[in-house]
Amino acid sequence: MAPTRDIFQAIADPTRRQIIGMLARKSLNVNAIAKEFDITRQAVSLHVQFLNDCGLIVIKQQGRERYCEAKLERLKEVTDWVDQYRNYWDNKFDSLQNYLAKIQNKKK
Amino acid sequence: MEKYNTFKQEGNILIHTRILDAPRDLVWEVWTTPEHIKEWWGPDGFSLTIKSMNVEPGKTWDSIMHGWGRDFDSKVEYLEVKKPSLLSYKHFGESEDYDFTVSVLFEEVEGKTLQTMKSVFKSKEIIEDLNRRFNVIEAGRQTLNRLENYLKISVEK
Repeated sequence: MAPTRDIFQAIADPTRRQIIGMLARKSLNVNAIAKEFDITRQAVSLHVQFLNDCGLIVIKQQGRERYCEAKLERLKEVTDWVDQYRNYWDNKFDSLQNYLAKIQNKKK
Repeated sequence: MEKYNTFKQEGNILIHTRILDAPRDLVWEVWTTPEHIKEWWGPDGFSLTIKSMNVEPGKTWDSIMHGWGRDFDSKVEYLEVKKPSLLSYKHFGESEDYDFTVSVLFEEVEGKTLQTMKSVFKSKEIIEDLNRRFNVIEAGRQTLNRLENYLKISVEK
């Protein structure tokens, strides 16, 4: 199913970022996640649902438990423009270096 | 020397370092004189017309980049000009929120020049917004390409 929410909303919230961090290490059920926070289990459950809607985690039924598993591929979206920026300047600095080599050769 | 070539993000700041095999004075010169900067600045395959370039604090560098069959205006305002070690400028974006400042530090290291470029955006959210919009544009472009290819195939049939 296509994610219904924006990934940037997902990472805008500190609690959700923390949940992603926890799940990146290992899959947990909602109760185990809730234990780590001072907010109610219901509130944690809403954050989990939000992350699920964003496609950042999947919820898997295992017996009576529902386990949350991180799906971090979508986080890649966040890096795209920055990557572009980095590549642009890497390339420009190559041009700069080539140009510097060229004018230094001329001077010799 | 490779260890000097790095890139990282710290909140709203993007930091790019590069070691350049040239004396610092020369690196300064190619950043600050029109006849040099037009030889390497701007996207590949573009040419650059410099309308004016006045490398002093509060003064500007106005140019037009030509490429992809279009002209793109480019304007920066210099903030700090400390020859030959520090150059900083403000880059004007599509609106004030997207303006960002860049500082370029030049240091002498083992006879070469270590260049540290810091791009400071208004907030981390602006960078995230740019990320998202870039993605939208990219996704849109890919969709159009696919449509175009599809139409070509359809016509050939």
